[in-house]
Amino acid sequence: MAKENTEVDAERETRTERTRAGDPTDTAPDQLISTDPGREGVAEQDDEPSGATETVIEAHGLDVYYGETRALDDVTIEIPSNRVTAMIGPSGCGKSTFLRCINRMNDLIDVARVEGDLLFDGVDVYADDVDPVALRRHVGMVFQHPNPFPKSIYDNVAYGLRVQGDTDDLDGRVEQALRRAALWEEVSDRLDDSALDLSGGQQQRLCIARAIAVDPAVILMDEPASALDPIATSKIEDLIDELAESYTVVIVTHNMQQAARISDRTAVFLTGGELVEVGPTREIFEDPEEDRVEDYITGKFG
Amino acid sequence: MNDARGEMDLSGDRGFQDVRESVYHVVLLACAVVSVLTTIGIVYSLAAPSVAFFAEVSAAEFFTATEFNVNIQPITFGVLPLAFGTIIVTVGAAAVALPLGLLTAIYLSEYADSRTRAVLKPMLEVLAGIPTVVYGYFALVYVTPFLDGVLPVELNTFNVLSASLVMGVMIVPMVSSISEDSMSAVPDTLRQGAYGLGATKFKVSTRVVVPAAVSGIASSYILAISRAVGETMIVVVAAGNLPNFPSGPGDVLPKFFEQTQTMTAAMVEVLTSEIGGGTVAYRSVFAIGLTLFGMTFALNLVSDFVAERYREEYD
Amino acid sequence: MTTDTNTDTDTVESVDPGLGRVSRLRGAVFRYVTFVASLVGVASLGVLLAYVFWDALGMDSAQPGWYAGFFLLVVAPFVGFVLRARTDAVAGEVALELFATVAGGIQGGFALVVVLDVIAGVDVWLSYFLTTIGPAVAVYLYGRLNRAASWTGLGILATGLLGPVAGTLLIGRIDVVVSGVGAPGIYLLTVTLPAALGVGLLVDRNEDLGDGRWATLALFALGVAGVLAADAVPGVSRSVWQLFVASFAAPTGYVVARNLADQERWSGLAGPGALVVGAGVLLLVDGPLGLVGPSPWFDWQFLTSPPSLTDPSTAGVYAPIVGSVFVIVLVAVFTLFLGVGAALYLEEYAGSSGLRGAVARLVRINISNLAGVPSVVYGLLGLAVFARLIGTGIGTVLTAALTLSLLILPIVIISAREAIAAVPDSQRRASYGMGATRWQTVRNVVLPRSLPGIMTGTILALGRAIGETAPLLMIGVPAFRRDEPTGLFTRTGALPRQVFTWADNPNPEFQYGVLAAGVVTLLVVLLTMNSIAILIRNKYERGDV
Repeated sequence: MAKENTEVDAERETRTERTRAGDPTDTAPDQLISTDPGREGVAEQDDEPSGATETVIEAHGLDVYYGETRALDDVTIEIPSNRVTAMIGPSGCGKSTFLRCINRMNDLIDVARVEGDLLFDGVDVYADDVDPVALRRHVGMVFQHPNPFPKSIYDNVAYGLRVQGDTDDLDGRVEQALRRAALWEEVSDRLDDSALDLSGGQQQRLCIARAIAVDPAVILMDEPASALDPIATSKIEDLIDELAESYTVVIVTHNMQQAARISDRTAVFLTGGELVEVGPTREIFEDPEEDRVEDYITGKFG
Repeated sequence: MNDARGEMDLSGDRGFQDVRESVYHVVLLACAVVSVLTTIGIVYSLAAPSVAFFAEVSAAEFFTATEFNVNIQPITFGVLPLAFGTIIVTVGAAAVALPLGLLTAIYLSEYADSRTRAVLKPMLEVLAGIPTVVYGYFALVYVTPFLDGVLPVELNTFNVLSASLVMGVMIVPMVSSISEDSMSAVPDTLRQGAYGLGATKFKVSTRVVVPAAVSGIASSYILAISRAVGETMIVVVAAGNLPNFPSGPGDVLPKFFEQTQTMTAAMVEVLTSEIGGGTVAYRSVFAIGLTLFGMTFALNLVSDFVAERYREEYD
Repeated sequence: MTTDTNTDTDTVESVDPGLGRVSRLRGAVFRYVTFVASLVGVASLGVLLAYVFWDALGMDSAQPGWYAGFFLLVVAPFVGFVLRARTDAVAGEVALELFATVAGGIQGGFALVVVLDVIAGVDVWLSYFLTTIGPAVAVYLYGRLNRAASWTGLGILATGLLGPVAGTLLIGRIDVVVSGVGAPGIYLLTVTLPAALGVGLLVDRNEDLGDGRWATLALFALGVAGVLAADAVPGVSRSVWQLFVASFAAPTGYVVARNLADQERWSGLAGPGALVVGAGVLLLVDGPLGLVGPSPWFDWQFLTSPPSLTDPSTAGVYAPIVGSVFVIVLVAVFTLFLGVGAALYLEEYAGSSGLRGAVARLVRINISNLAGVPSVVYGLLGLAVFARLIGTGIGTVLTAALTLSLLILPIVIISAREAIAAVPDSQRRASYGMGATRWQTVRNVVLPRSLPGIMTGTILALGRAIGETAPLLMIGVPAFRRDEPTGLFTRTGALPRQVFTWADNPNPEFQYGVLAAGVVTLLVVLLTMNSIAILIRNKYERGDV
């Protein structure tokens, strides 16, 4: 049995590696071909109103260390409000680390150390008088694997409101959050059932509902669809599109097609925690300034 | 959205919630500190009377005199016969528990199927969970008469042999569970490597797995010995209450069939009659307790050290 | 994991005999030796247990005819069921569940009687019920019904802090109520009725079972009407009846009904059912047939009489049992609170770096060392620090409880830490990501998830505390006491201490009779606690809890 196990493991490993390696090569040329720079480039300009939205999050010279290892290297970026910003890059490039800096989830890791400036709504997130708990009440987060609590659907969505002691019109706001997460129709008659009885895709939408129930300014998503099947993934992507009307969405993904489909702006991280390029998504995918970014997007790198 | 929300307050002043957080933090910290206080309490309760004891009885007498006698003049406080009792009982228990425990661990880790394991392991846990006074009762009332009938030697009503046999059975699970853990931690690649070279299951178990897990096994042995050294009720009930020191090396073996008094048994005997306190005999209990604590503490440290080394090897 | 490798190599050998054979004799012998070795301990314990149960139940005095009946009606069905359970996992599980519920229910009833009726007394119980337990449960239930009520946690906390104060003031001022309603009536309303309502809720939740109201009504009726039956049984007062309906009849009825409702689980009921019917038939027929049965030492008289040093026929363990229950209830309260608190601090608050990390590391090393300190040394600690320095008194209930608490605290902390560490980190991240504070995360996410594991570890540790004798000797628990303890500061007997006292008596009637019965009492308590712990662990591992 031991022998078999290792074989299975090895097989699984190569399979995942294959998909990982396959991603860029399969999708990137697609992107380059399918987009038409002539027409859509213009539309893109309209879509990218430099002055119309304000900057919600900005980082200046942000470094993160895990013990001795450097996870983010001098990152400077501005993230506009009411837009979807995608973070892409190979595994271990620091894109998730950056995401976790925004709501200070890195505080939960003992050895993590943050240097440089990170401003949220003009306030330095790492200033002494900022409380990470208060910060997280304005910055929602959705994780890679759906992680509903083993409680009822209702209690999951109400969790954030309850911990914040904000329980006026709880029923109405739970319903509103579930509607916005496009889940209400499916669960309205069984709010008291365990959230664990839902399918994976429904669970992830429940997690999104849970995050938006407290009406945050920003929603961080850490590869929210990577554990889901294609149909559930496309539902989540549609949802992200709608959410951008009311929220600022920052999403980490290593599916480049997905980044191209749903984001307004894209930031590319490469090995060593370096933010190589950030800009409007179309520019990044069609005409990146940096050769390394082009190499990555066309699959020569990573 | 931002304008609807107005000014965002990130300072985190949540009034009552903050108070609650710090209260719970302090309360939980206090719970954790109780264990440190326990250690301090143990050291204090052993050291203070021991200091008073050694002011009256010289350490030389305590550690070299071959008689322990607090009732009949001349009163002598020699820990040696008690230590001998503890050692002989421990040796007997180890002779049962160490081989049985190791073989059990090999069976559980290398041979048993998952169903057998699911039945056997809780049963072994029960062995460790039976109160020691019950084991003492078994030894006194059932094992000693049985051995007396079977063995060609004359067996005292209270004797080392049945106490240590029963104690050995009691500490088998301690040896087997820790040893099995360390055997399960041996990477399968090592086993497969050996099979690849044409080794049989027997060779793999005895020449590959056991040597690779040797520090875990050693650690479990030391821990089990420490447990036997500190065991009280079995020896109090079944091994008697008479300090018994051999006259020479040839006199050791017969002591298994006679009664003895271990350090723990002496503590019980003196304290159940001298609970009032204030006497030298009362304080001698704490001096013996300190010696016992020192012995078990040293054994536990060595066991930890050995186990630590094995963890480094395979993690 | 590795077992199948064996069959692997066997197959290789049989498929390819042309390559010659390597001798397997040594391997086969070795395998056999390890197998036998692993059974030696269990088998010898089994033999010893058989002996002690044989003696305690006085089987020697039965006639051959009775043995035949016993074998046919009780042993044969039991063995048959065990053989079946080997292949039918559900059957074994149901039998375990039934055993844990029945034995736990009976012993829980005993403990309830001891705590409420013997030690506290009905007036004290009513005072605290009205001021603390009742309001706290009411607030909790209100919070479950009204989802928007966010103050319930605070309300329960306030009740827990203020209730006992108010309750203490109330004692003595409600004598009118106590004498008006009467003790059985008070237990009917404060214990039986809530238990009946709880079972009703459970029945309602279970789709296979019918209307919960009927279950509630039936149990309440049993509490009221059964009083008449209870009056006929000597030694069972109406109060005792109420408490046993709550702790034994309610859970047993529910478990039996639930297993009856699920056809897949019927096979598991067959064994216990056959055993009960067999024993019942044996009891009915042995009189008319003139079969002389055993004269057990371990019987109702033994459990309800005070101990004796001289007369084996009237000796009992009532006072020591009351003492042990009193002590263990306190130990459970202390260690659950301290152990879970310490484990939560180490796992959730301490971290691993900086000063806090260093403190936490120190505490962890300290705890693992404390787990290896001999119990007799804890006795010296209890004697020097609690009994003498703090002055809780030699051999008192409180001294015993504090000493045993410190003794099992390391075990409770270690097992609670394991249970807490097993809560997936993704759950914590989800909670923190929602802006929950540390305590909110602990209370809403970590504790509910780890509670079954914590309970399992604590029950096993309490089992260890029940049987510990050496520390009791050190702190001066008296060798023999006919009276049950009445307060925290009274000297008390204890079950294992009493067993040790009897072990000194060479009279065979004591050694093979009274002492055996005392040992069996201890073992039955321990086996029950172990089976409850295993039941919780099994359900937890399957995700039922």
